[in-house]
Amino acid sequence: MLKGGLAADNCLEMTWNKDEAPAAGSAGMEPAVEAQDLTKIYHGNIRAVDAITFSIRRGEIFGLLGPNGAGKTTTIKMIVTLSNATSGRLQVFGVDIFRSPVAVRGMLGYVPQSISVDADLSGYENLLIFSKLSFVPKKDRAKRIWDALDYMGLSDRAHDLVRHYSGGMMRRLEIAQAVVNRPKVLLLDEPTIGLDPSSKMHVWKSIKQLRQEFGTTVLMTTHDMGEADELCDRIAIMSQGKIAALGSPEDLKRGVGGDVVTLHLSSPHLDVLIPREIGNTVHSEAKMIQVLTRNGEEAIPTITDFFRSQKIGIESISVHRPNLDDVFMKYAGRRLHDEEAAGAVSARRDIVRHMK
Amino acid sequence: MNIRRFVSSSLTVAEMEARKIRHDTTELWTRVIQPALWLLVFGVTFNSVKGLPSGSFSYIQFITPGILAQSVLFIAIFYGITVVWERDVGIITKLLSMPASRTSIVLGKSLSASLRGVFQAVMIFVLALLLGVKIRLDPVDVAGVFAIVILFAICFSSLSMLIASFMKTRDRMMGIGQALTMPLFFASNAIYPISIMPVWLQYVSVANPLSYVVDAMRSMLLSGNYSNLPIDIAALLVSTTAFVGLASFTIRRLLE
Ligand SMILES: Nc1ncnc2c1ncn2[C@@H]1O[C@H](COP(=O)(O)OP(=O)(O)O)[C@@H](O)[C@H]1O
Ligand SMILES: [Mg+2]
Repeated sequence: MLKGGLAADNCLEMTWNKDEAPAAGSAGMEPAVEAQDLTKIYHGNIRAVDAITFSIRRGEIFGLLGPNGAGKTTTIKMIVTLSNATSGRLQVFGVDIFRSPVAVRGMLGYVPQSISVDADLSGYENLLIFSKLSFVPKKDRAKRIWDALDYMGLSDRAHDLVRHYSGGMMRRLEIAQAVVNRPKVLLLDEPTIGLDPSSKMHVWKSIKQLRQEFGTTVLMTTHDMGEADELCDRIAIMSQGKIAALGSPEDLKRGVGGDVVTLHLSSPHLDVLIPREIGNTVHSEAKMIQVLTRNGEEAIPTITDFFRSQKIGIESISVHRPNLDDVFMKYAGRRLHDEEAAGAVSARRDIVRHMK
Repeated sequence: MNIRRFVSSSLTVAEMEARKIRHDTTELWTRVIQPALWLLVFGVTFNSVKGLPSGSFSYIQFITPGILAQSVLFIAIFYGITVVWERDVGIITKLLSMPASRTSIVLGKSLSASLRGVFQAVMIFVLALLLGVKIRLDPVDVAGVFAIVILFAICFSSLSMLIASFMKTRDRMMGIGQALTMPLFFASNAIYPISIMPVWLQYVSVANPLSYVVDAMRSMLLSGNYSNLPIDIAALLVSTTAFVGLASFTIRRLLE
């Protein structure tokens, strides 16, 4: 079946008009993206994506959150037909991705993890070429391109070669491509990695705007919890190729239950066991310990008493409501940011390599 | 099946290349140096010593079509390196995620190589005329030569992309290109007639597509004898279709 998909892709295949409702499925309210037991195995043994099942509603901003190597990029690549799934089912607006890859790509916009705009063309030319390749009607092209350039704050640099753009400007240009091409589903792989805060804000704002103006469905990956929290209606937490948890940020956080109390200690705690009735230890380092309790404020006196009885001094105590990192901790058994640093470095390197 | 979209995507990919060339023409000019040296040094020298048999034509007449074919061959066979480089900077990822069919993307990339080939052809024509080389300038023949240049560049650049899909790195492609171009060039009728080669090389030469291209160009630029032309063009068309078709299946491997 997968082989058949590859073959169909290389034929001139069918006409696809982006504005038409998809023919297949007929009910008309299929989810924007539906994956069932989607699996990718590299070299016969690396399970990059391991039988994941999810469904993205129309007009939703859906996040895949997970550390480096979780399988986020692989998932997106299978959807854009750049990588063949090893097994499983995948549909976009009811159209089977293996049977009609060209039709599916006609509904998608893709911003890869590493910068992919053409540095040897101007910003305007990048938008022009890729709007032609997305079959944007000729009469709409110029206006859409200039609107997008304006909106992304690039119009005064439109005719400069992209090699002279900053990393943030390149990213904005890639989002501008989505604004011009108006895909039904926009796939963003780590859209703000390596960006400065103001470019990041700009990208966030335009993602929301795309959804608002065109009803674009967005699937984005990120390892930034704040970003997922800020943008996503629902989040799938990925870890080692699997979806560990799926839900709205609020539900996921509520699912953790209670508050997180963080204690900084004046000496190493030597693995003292915190009694069950106080709460569960969710994270611990030599001189730091995090405890999940039903009510953080009420637990503080008990906790101080406990540590006093153990003769361990406390330097500070803080209480916070669970965040997505705590959610990740609960479902994946480790901290998200522990694994983040390496990824951030390599992403930055992508941009540098591109500018050479 | 939508021919209009297919053609428009191919042309758009070629337009992309044309725009890049317009921003920076350096490469285009530096590529002219090598064929110019062949004509000016090798051609002029051997022309005066009459060291190689060239039939009823002067030696410089004889090798002008050969040099033209050779310089297009070089551009085309190394085109895979450009594509590998574009893979490295994310452009191929982007192109292959477009709704355009992958065959049209591959064809567009090959047309980009043709574009460079056409520029070479123009420059070699100019050089030949400056050197006073007598070539037939009948418009139909000149148009025919350009058509062969375009087809030839599509043929070998798609072969190069086909190979690049498996080789995947610039270094390997550089090696492969060098390993291919020299034998193709010397085992062809580009700079000497097949009749003076050792017998084993004559067999190689007959299987060498470059010989057919040179032969077609000679018939249009020099002799005006078109009897071999249909075979030359048919051979070229068949291999071009095969290579473009195969490369559009394999190109995605570049991303893996
Ligand atoms: N082309 C490839 N060949 C082999 N393994 C790969 C390839 N691409 C990704 N992987 C592996 O698959 C896993 C998931 O990678 P990826 O999808 O890039 O994760 P993420 O995007 O979440 O960081 C990793 O273990 C990675 O090493
Ligand atoms: Mg990734």
